[in-house]
Amino acid sequence: MSALGGSGPAPGGAMNPVAMLVGFVLAVIFLAVIFVLAPAALIPLIGIIVGGVLIGFGVHFVPVGGAPAAMGQAPGIATGVAMLAAGAGLAGLFGGAWAAGQGLVVATVTGAVGGGLMMAITCMMVNVIYVFGMGIPAASGKVTKDPLTGDTQAEYKSQGTEGHGLPFISFVGGVIGGLFGGAGGTLIYLELLGVYEQYLPSLFNATAAQIMPVAVSLAGIFAIGMFLVNAVLAAYNITGTIEGPHDPKFKRFPRAIVASLVASALCGLVAILIVVVNLNI
Amino acid sequence: MTAQITVTEGGIPHNTLMIYGLIGSLIGIYLTYLNTVTGTQLFSFFGGLGAVAALIWGSSTIKRLCSYGIGTGVPSAGMLAFGSGVIAMLLATKFGIASPIVALVLGLVIGAILGYIANNILAMKIPVMIQSIAELAAVGALVMIGFSAMATGSFTFSPLSVVQVAAAGGVVNSFAASLIGGGILAAIFMLGAMALQHGFNACLGPSEKQDRTLMLTAEVGFLSMIMVAIFSFAYLGTYALIISIVVSAAGWYYTYAKYIALSKRDAAAWLDSKPIVEAEGH
Repeated sequence: MSALGGSGPAPGGAMNPVAMLVGFVLAVIFLAVIFVLAPAALIPLIGIIVGGVLIGFGVHFVPVGGAPAAMGQAPGIATGVAMLAAGAGLAGLFGGAWAAGQGLVVATVTGAVGGGLMMAITCMMVNVIYVFGMGIPAASGKVTKDPLTGDTQAEYKSQGTEGHGLPFISFVGGVIGGLFGGAGGTLIYLELLGVYEQYLPSLFNATAAQIMPVAVSLAGIFAIGMFLVNAVLAAYNITGTIEGPHDPKFKRFPRAIVASLVASALCGLVAILIVVVNLNI
Repeated sequence: MTAQITVTEGGIPHNTLMIYGLIGSLIGIYLTYLNTVTGTQLFSFFGGLGAVAALIWGSSTIKRLCSYGIGTGVPSAGMLAFGSGVIAMLLATKFGIASPIVALVLGLVIGAILGYIANNILAMKIPVMIQSIAELAAVGALVMIGFSAMATGSFTFSPLSVVQVAAAGGVVNSFAASLIGGGILAAIFMLGAMALQHGFNACLGPSEKQDRTLMLTAEVGFLSMIMVAIFSFAYLGTYALIISIVVSAAGWYYTYAKYIALSKRDAAAWLDSKPIVEAEGH
């Protein structure tokens, strides 16, 4: 596989103030465009941005192990962020979409529970395979003691590895990441669905019930697209792998929050423009 | 401690490939407009050919980007490409005849901003990052608009979201049966993303060769095209369907045979495995 594992001195938590400022200016411009073209969609766009930030933040909790984890040389779930996001995040999104009729709060919580549940099952089965299939215990390489249970790690860590398996703190981190990701994805979906339900009937000259399939599909596919964009940007921030909330790389999350904020504002703007731009050609 | 990604030099320069892919893709997608001009559906398959041309360009871009070791695996680049591409593509379908060009431009703009975020805000500091992500988003948008045009015979928003179906003795507008309303766009999303990232993900390594990688991308692209041809059964007539399936199956067979030949060329040795012989007396 690829250079998973963040080789070399990664650029730490260093911030680029100019780039941050440019990012904030871009986000304000995107918000202003929506405020001018479709004031009713401004609140949904802010909801979309919050959802995107939740996804970007949530990815930092998930123990992404990548190829080294598959070889038992590093802790975490043995795949990349794109796969974990597609699995756990979309499970949350489907759960939230199913509860969309129950109102914003219930649906968002349902989405969070769906994502968290999917991550909990994934983490458990990963450890079953690590312990019973590969015969390796769970040990973190980044901390000497598990921050939650206080268990020491060094005795179980094989020499020449960065740890292996899925320690308790990583498991908890995975579930928290699933909760954030599922809630964020559902929030994006619900906000877009509200915008499309409002604008599409007049666009197609049809009733609200008739355009429902198009509104649901558009909101769903845009939510999937934004989910993947935010997840991959967060993955770039952690250079591919992370052990969980105890990993030093976790401290880089402020950068990812700014990145998700700008990216979600851009994608949300385009997703809302689709019902605002009406050229009749 | 990590596996080094190695890419071989040589082959066609990336910029040449980019121009071929871009022009080929736009020509392919625009040739589906012959449907409207001639009043038939027979030219829909050109959309798939345009998508394959864009996929080959995108595969070369992924190779260029991932040779820097972005750390997240090759598939993540494909997912980012289509995640941003679908957003650009759906807005672009609102622009009528200009849709493919708007998809290209919008993809480049969205991709460039995302590339700036990744390169500067997230401090990736990869020289080709902004250009590569801009190209990938454009490729994602073009592939999706090409496959959508192949499935429905059109690339504008209304035909993609409303279709006429016969019901109760008359014809009614159905939103649920359309490409977008029916969720077929999500299947096209994944078919395209797999085709885009698989080529380099499977071929990377010490003896990676450009022609073999791109041939594999074309092969998976035609495989996705067969699936899209089957989707078009819901929207197009029998003759258009048969033409689409024959063209995509022929393209797949040709690229598959070529890929196997190139793999044999690059392999150290090639041994045809035999079925395991069942020993008697067990």
